[in-house]
Amino acid sequence: MGLKKLFKPFKLISVARHSGVVTVLYPYQKPLITAEFRGKISIDASKCMGCGACANTCPPNALILSRRDNTIILNYFIGRCIFCGRCAEVCPVGAITVTHEFELASMSTRDLNESLVHQVEKCSGCGGGLGATRRMLQYVILHSPTAENYVHLCPNCRKKRFINALVMKMGARTENVES
Amino acid sequence: MLRVNPLKKSVWVFHLNTGSCNACDIEILDALTPYFDVERFGIKLVASPRHADLVLFTGPITRKTLPKVVNALRAVPRPRYVLAIGACAVGGGIWYDTYSVIGGVEELKKILEENGIEIDKIVYVPGCPARPEAIIYGVAVLLGLVEQKVHGEVKIAE
Repeated sequence: MGLKKLFKPFKLISVARHSGVVTVLYPYQKPLITAEFRGKISIDASKCMGCGACANTCPPNALILSRRDNTIILNYFIGRCIFCGRCAEVCPVGAITVTHEFELASMSTRDLNESLVHQVEKCSGCGGGLGATRRMLQYVILHSPTAENYVHLCPNCRKKRFINALVMKMGARTENVES
Repeated sequence: MLRVNPLKKSVWVFHLNTGSCNACDIEILDALTPYFDVERFGIKLVASPRHADLVLFTGPITRKTLPKVVNALRAVPRPRYVLAIGACAVGGGIWYDTYSVIGGVEELKKILEENGIEIDKIVYVPGCPARPEAIIYGVAVLLGLVEQKVHGEVKIAE
């Protein structure tokens, strides 16, 4: 009886040999990643137009669009991202793609921030900031060609131009009506 | 103070849930299975923070758990290492501006400083939930086995 108990652990050797090695040597071996796996997103700087559709739809506000002086900044904080892929779904120009990158461990949260800086287009009437980038204007013109007449003006200049046109139609003699 | 070289010593981990949804906790359990066999790096799960070198930190730290979290972290001997796992622990996740949570380890660090508790090293592992591979990668970054891949960058359009 005692001898049987003594040899019991050795049974495991045959069991282990039968099942083989299952351990993956992960950091030194490629992990299993399927095609559907969603990792970090990558924003294509040559396509993004800074419209903020992604920032609107982002559930945890990992993508934030902010305006500072004459720039529009799209900030992506990976630390808060839940990798849902909605931003890639709604992007009108397809600038956002979901990559398979998941090895995102970092020593500080500063390394987890990515930002994309856009320049704001200037109003062709008064020279002030327009609130839109050049690519946004191009996108609007592409989808409704009649917009080409007024997209380069800021709301104030558009108002002035409309009033001028209205006054001219009503038969005013002056060429320019101030405010 | 005696600084232990982390490579010369096995890392014993303590699992601390601070109000997470349990997805990250399940991924931690996954990482501890023989499939990944983290004992290759000497990682072992212990039941008390007093025995631990590294705290596996999950959840956005709810107000109810805060005093317990502070007590648990105070019990960890120096050097104190924290692995913030998941979007909630890193930056608050989808709860980042909710009234009932502290909102991630970054905010907790300020509270700990007021209480005189110092954390020597924090490694952030984003993911919702983080993959078991991502957790192992985070530990490897902490131990200096692999290089950190992501670096913050500022791109300029046009």
